[in-house]
Amino acid sequence: MLTEREVVSTLEMLKNEHLDVRTVTLGINLMECQSHDLKRFCGNIYDKLTGLGENLVSVCDRVGDRYGIPVVNKRLSVSPISVVAAPFSSSEMVEVAVTLDRAVKEIGVDFVGGFSSCVEKGFSHGDSSLIAAIPEALSGTERVCSSVNVASTSAGINMDAVSLMGRTIKKAAESSADSDGLACAKLCVFANIPQDIPFMAGAYLGIGEPDAVINVGVSGPGVVKKAIDRAMEKEDGPDFGEISDIIKRTAFKVTRVGELIGRQVASRLGVTFGIVDLSLAPTPNVGDSVGEIFESLGLRSIGVPGSTAALAMLNDAVKKGGAFSSSYVGGLSGAFIPVSEDITISEAARKGYLSLEKLEAMTSVCSVGLDMVPLPGDTTAATLAAVIADEMAIGVINKKTTAARLIPVPGKKAGDKAYFGGLLGQATIMDVRNEPASEKFIGMGGRIPAPLQSLIN
Amino acid sequence: MQKLVISILGRDCPGIVAAVSKVLFDSGCNVEDVTQTRLQSEFASIFIISMPEGISPDDLHGSMNGALEPLGLQVSMRPLENQGLPADAEPYEPFVITTTGPDRLGLVSGVTEVMALFRVNITNLKALFRGGEDPSKNTMIYEVEIPAGMEQDSFREALFRRAEELGLDLSIQHREIFEAINRI
Repeated sequence: MLTEREVVSTLEMLKNEHLDVRTVTLGINLMECQSHDLKRFCGNIYDKLTGLGENLVSVCDRVGDRYGIPVVNKRLSVSPISVVAAPFSSSEMVEVAVTLDRAVKEIGVDFVGGFSSCVEKGFSHGDSSLIAAIPEALSGTERVCSSVNVASTSAGINMDAVSLMGRTIKKAAESSADSDGLACAKLCVFANIPQDIPFMAGAYLGIGEPDAVINVGVSGPGVVKKAIDRAMEKEDGPDFGEISDIIKRTAFKVTRVGELIGRQVASRLGVTFGIVDLSLAPTPNVGDSVGEIFESLGLRSIGVPGSTAALAMLNDAVKKGGAFSSSYVGGLSGAFIPVSEDITISEAARKGYLSLEKLEAMTSVCSVGLDMVPLPGDTTAATLAAVIADEMAIGVINKKTTAARLIPVPGKKAGDKAYFGGLLGQATIMDVRNEPASEKFIGMGGRIPAPLQSLIN
Repeated sequence: MQKLVISILGRDCPGIVAAVSKVLFDSGCNVEDVTQTRLQSEFASIFIISMPEGISPDDLHGSMNGALEPLGLQVSMRPLENQGLPADAEPYEPFVITTTGPDRLGLVSGVTEVMALFRVNITNLKALFRGGEDPSKNTMIYEVEIPAGMEQDSFREALFRRAEELGLDLSIQHREIFEAINRI
């Protein structure tokens, strides 16, 4: 027999606290699609994606109905195209992107990640072709996402790649200038990229993953915020230990939802269940914000002094609670602080509480990094590269994943508004101080060596 | 050994189950299963017992009444017909149907009529109407068994339609989700 409390509190989370499964991502291995003939290759890809992915949307909806929890997004991730399509030229890679786009439109899926490349130690032919194809591929398609891993704790930081990505981001922005540089919203630069992220734009199916696998991302910032608010209302207010405990318990519940639904979807599709990504992932909707959690904790806004400590506690508590609830946890598993996708963070940037520098500091304690950050359109490629280099250094030295999704909005300056639409949201363009001032540093070339892994102070 | 179903209804107070089980013990009866519940100030209980040879149901009823009437409790008894759980029980899936909404006549009857129509059985029910117009204070929670083979779309459609007619916000979810979220 269920208690009244169990039923009512579960329904509260669903109805008023924005608990949902943010994404169910079907990873599909494309290695067997390889061919030296482009048309055949694209045909193989199209057939495999539409074949395996045909029922993804309907199965997710049915499972969502069974438990009364909506699966908001259904997505695909594929093997890194730089590897699978290695013999092809850049323009041929663009064709591959178009095929991916066509396939996911056919099966009704929102995004496909995997137009990706790993270049932390150097470039292969396929890597160079892919990166050169990125601007056209992303501006010429709707649903394709791209990620490039330019650094790792074991390899160091490939500064040639960092510099190249600065230029690539500029080109991608220019080629999508009529939509505020939207192509850049589908491109992430990573350090220590995980192979099983279910979220975009970083999703790709790494080498060593199965032929087909389900990875799940849940969403619970609203649930966490409400749980904290209830505790803070009590006369005998909580201390940090008690708050941490509340966040852990909440993360436990939220992650269990993802695990249950992910396993059901995997079983019905006849596919392996991979992981649950524990990340707290916000949307632009009111009440579904990570930024609001900071306010619940007693900070005037995200970005004021205390924000890094608050985020460190939040991120750690989410991981502890989530890790207990599921045996298979992976992906990014941290707290997202995307500037345009979170209504409160967007406001904090607009009001001047949150600067690029403070955002960077906060990324040292959470997983995603500088995410959905709109910047002035005239930011130089070298400055972009330098911002990325800083973010990569944080990841490499601290043995964690960091990423940069920077959007220099053509024709707009700091204080102007940029509109990306849907889940990607909108935001006020942030100022990049002290630029251009990094050109010579970025121009040096080569690789920043891998850090020592002992003597870690 | 004859089996009986005994049901007890009346005002709640400490000592009821003790009084009943003493009569049963003194009569040599074995309690096979028992359950009880309280609603506002009222008590209700069902006992399934087996009686020894040499005592009649009427005698037992007499002893029970003697012990319970002073406590203001009513007892009724009848032989257990089905001898417990049916051998060929149909497989089912456990779901939870919850409603919230302003209180009015016909809520329980309206929702359960749809369930009965589709042969959906209620295993547990809690309906608390506390708030008049405040929907969140008027909650009905039905734990139900839905036959495993049943195609659920028409049942769901009918339920949601009825809920709309009654001004209720209705959810129907598999029981697993509540257990997964709330229990380790």
